[in-house]
Amino acid sequence: MTAYANTVIRRGAGYWWGSFVSMLRFDLVSLRNELMAVAVLQVLMGAGMAIIYGFYFEEIPEVVATYIVTGTPALAIVPVGMALVPGVVMQHKFDDTYDFLWSLPVPRLAIAASNFVLFTGIALPGVAMSLLVAAWRYDIDLAVSWSIVPAVLLAALMANSVGFGFAHAIPEPRVTNLIVNVIIFLVLLFSPVAFPISNFPDWFASVHRGLPFFHMANVVRGGLTEGLVDGLAASYAVLGLWMVGSWVVVAWVVSRRR
Amino acid sequence: MTAGTIPALRSGPRYWWRSFLMMTRWEIVGLRLLLPITVFVQLLTGAGFVLGVGLFFGQIPPRAALFVSTGVIVITLATVGLVLGPQLIAGQKAQQTYDFIWSLPVPRSTAAAAWIVTNTIIAVPGMVVALVVANIRYDIDLVISIGILPGALLTLYTATMLGYAIAHSIKQPMLINLITQVTIFALTGFSPVNFPKEQLPGWLAALNEVLPLLHMANVMRAGLTEGIVTGLTRSYAVLGLWAVAATMVTGWVLRRRQ
Repeated sequence: MTAYANTVIRRGAGYWWGSFVSMLRFDLVSLRNELMAVAVLQVLMGAGMAIIYGFYFEEIPEVVATYIVTGTPALAIVPVGMALVPGVVMQHKFDDTYDFLWSLPVPRLAIAASNFVLFTGIALPGVAMSLLVAAWRYDIDLAVSWSIVPAVLLAALMANSVGFGFAHAIPEPRVTNLIVNVIIFLVLLFSPVAFPISNFPDWFASVHRGLPFFHMANVVRGGLTEGLVDGLAASYAVLGLWMVGSWVVVAWVVSRRR
Repeated sequence: MTAGTIPALRSGPRYWWRSFLMMTRWEIVGLRLLLPITVFVQLLTGAGFVLGVGLFFGQIPPRAALFVSTGVIVITLATVGLVLGPQLIAGQKAQQTYDFIWSLPVPRSTAAAAWIVTNTIIAVPGMVVALVVANIRYDIDLVISIGILPGALLTLYTATMLGYAIAHSIKQPMLINLITQVTIFALTGFSPVNFPKEQLPGWLAALNEVLPLLHMANVMRAGLTEGIVTGLTRSYAVLGLWAVAATMVTGWVLRRRQ
C-alpha cells in the first residue's frame, strides 16, 4: 500500500543521525548573522584582556607574559560557552519560542548534541586568533604540542555543556543573565586563568581547584608550554567531571515534561 | 470669581527650584526598586576591582596598589554617569515612555539637575567602600585633601553630562547600549585610570591626553594622594572643556522639538 510508504520511523541510529544533522543546519542558519560578532567578542575578551592585563605591570617578567598569553584561549572560550550558549537559550525564553524548540520532531538529545558540536566549532577560530594576537603582542615563543588539540576541545565542550545545562535548568532567564554576568566578572578579575594560582590566597585557590576555570587554562597551558604546569591529569579529570555532570543535568532537563 | 484665579507662572527661580525638587523625587521614586541593587552592584564592582587586581601580582608593588585604589573610585563615578544613565534612557526609549518624561510640565534642565543628584546618591557609597577596602587590603598612604570635592564633583558632572549627551542624541536604544558597553571596556582597559599612563604605548597615552578619563583620574587622585599627580591645572582645564561641551550638546538636544 503506497499510503504507508511515506511514514518515517522515529527511532534508530539512522533517524537520530538525520535529526542531528538537521539540527546542526537549523542552529547554524539561525546564528548566521551573529557568527562574525561572536569571533569579534572572543578576540576582545581573549586578546583584548591579554593586552589590558599587561598595562597593569610596570615591567612584565617573561613568565608573567607567558601566563597571560597561554591564558587567552581559555578567556576566548568562556564568552562562547558561558555567555553565548546561555544567551541563545535565554533569547528563546524571552521571545516565547522556547517551547517551539522542544516541539521539533527530533530526539531531544539530538538538539543538545548539535549545540555542543556547533558551538565548539564556532569557538575555535576566535580561540586561535586571540592566541596569535597575544603571542605577537608579548613576543612569546610557545612550545606547542599535540596535546593542545584535546585540551582546547575538552575545554570548549565542557564550557558549552555547562552553559547549556544551567541555561536550560534555570527557568527564569533573568537569573541566567545574572549568572552569566557573575561568571564573566569572576573569570576576568578573580580567576587563575591568566595568572598563576600561587598568586591566590590558599582558601581561594582551593575554591578554584573545584571550579572549571583554572583547569581550562591549565590543560591549554600544558599544550602550549613545557615545564610550566603540573597536575594535568587532575585538571583533565575535573573538566571531565564538570562536563559529565552537565550532561546529567541536560539529560534530566530534556526528558522532563511540563 | 474663582474662575479667574491666575495660573501659576512657569518661569523664574522659584518655579525652577520647585520643579527640580519634584524631578529629584520623581527620579528617586522611579528607581526605588533598582536603586538598592544599583548601589549594591557599585559596591561590589568597586571593592571587586580593588581586590581582583591584587591577584594579578605575586606581590603587588605599593605604587600599583595606590594607583588601583585611587583609580577604582574614578571607575565607579564614571560608570554611573556614562553607563547607567544612558542605559536607563535607552530603556525609556525602548519602552516608549521617553516622550512622556519630556511632556512633564517642568523645565527640562531640572531633569538633568535631578539626575546628577541621583547619580551622586548612587555613586558615593561605592566610592567610599572601595577606598575603605583598599586601605584595609593594601595599607596605602592616602592623603585626603579638600581637592577631592571639586575633583569628584567635576568628574561626576562631566561623566553624567557625557552620558546624557550620548543617550539623548542617539535614537536607537540598541546603539546606545552598544556605545556604553564599548565605553566601559575602554574605561577599564585602555585608559590610564587604574595604572600610570607611562605603562600604555605612546600613541595610546597621547590619545588619552585629549580624552576625559585620564584627567578625571588625575583630579581625583590629586585629592587623595600627595606628590603623584603632575599637570593638575591642565587636567582641570581639559576636563572643564569636556564638561562645557557635553553641557552644550545636552542643552541643545533637550531644547529641540520633534
